[in-house]
Amino acid sequence: MEGHQRNLSLYERFNARVVGVSRDDVTTLKYWAKSLDLTFPLLSNVTGFFGNYFYVKPEPGTENYPIFGRRTVIIDKKGIIRYVRDGSPDFKDILLFLKKLNQEGGKP
Amino acid sequence: MRRYLWMLLCCALVGMMLSACATMETTQKPYKLSQQGTVIWNDEFEFKPPSPGWKLVQVEAGGEFGFGFLRTDPGEFPSQSMFVYDEEPFGCSTKFDDREEEFFKRYLWATTFNISMEILEKNKVQVLGGEGLAVVAEGKDPIKKEKVKSKVVFGKRGDRVVAFYLTQWRHIDGTYDPSAFEIFDKFVASFKFLKKSFYETL
Repeated sequence: MEGHQRNLSLYERFNARVVGVSRDDVTTLKYWAKSLDLTFPLLSNVTGFFGNYFYVKPEPGTENYPIFGRRTVIIDKKGIIRYVRDGSPDFKDILLFLKKLNQEGGKP
Repeated sequence: MRRYLWMLLCCALVGMMLSACATMETTQKPYKLSQQGTVIWNDEFEFKPPSPGWKLVQVEAGGEFGFGFLRTDPGEFPSQSMFVYDEEPFGCSTKFDDREEEFFKRYLWATTFNISMEILEKNKVQVLGGEGLAVVAEGKDPIKKEKVKSKVVFGKRGDRVVAFYLTQWRHIDGTYDPSAFEIFDKFVASFKFLKKSFYETL
């Protein structure tokens, strides 16, 4: 998450915004954001809807109350999913992709 | 007025676990020696290496540090010294004083182990061709009977903060070895960037 926070100005340069999604409750996320000095939105999704929506495979043995692994998703302005990667975010890859996507869209 | 945003980067970080550091396994050495006796690292960094008693350590990008050197010191466990260069030190601020505060919140797994770091010294320094901040700190764990002395030097690469840090672990009754700090200072003073960073060229 700190990596995203460090890159906020670069995301802005490429007309992108970052949102974190977690199954943690709002109170936990507020504490988490404060402890890491995060300024971008964190969404609390305690039901796990987002995980299912983005087809994230639950950790084995957690099917009844799914625990999801990390997934990075980039959605363009038309709502089309353009990038999906599992695991820890590869920030350089993300930035290069956003740069390319921004160039495709042309200047505002 | 600028048109509103047209992309949304949605990071589904459901577990929100901190990333683990994977040890890098390379078949090709990422460094070479120059005729002047310095190390050229990935054609990106140049520095004077420490004496042969120090072993090279490195992790993949996105971990806690990029690469560094480790030395096992004489004395009771956990007697060792390690220093590293880190492109992504803990924290986000680009101002040194703020970054230092953020950094020490999480440095040495501060939230996991009960080591509270006490700042002993804090000085402005010249590093990497610009202004930087050097901080000396010490932490003690009376339960495990361990202590650690550390020097952290923050500098800039482009707009971003990078850091060098040395940690020297000792048994709670052990004595620190200042020679490691001198070697670390020489390493930092010799460190140069040979090209612009990824972020500077983006």
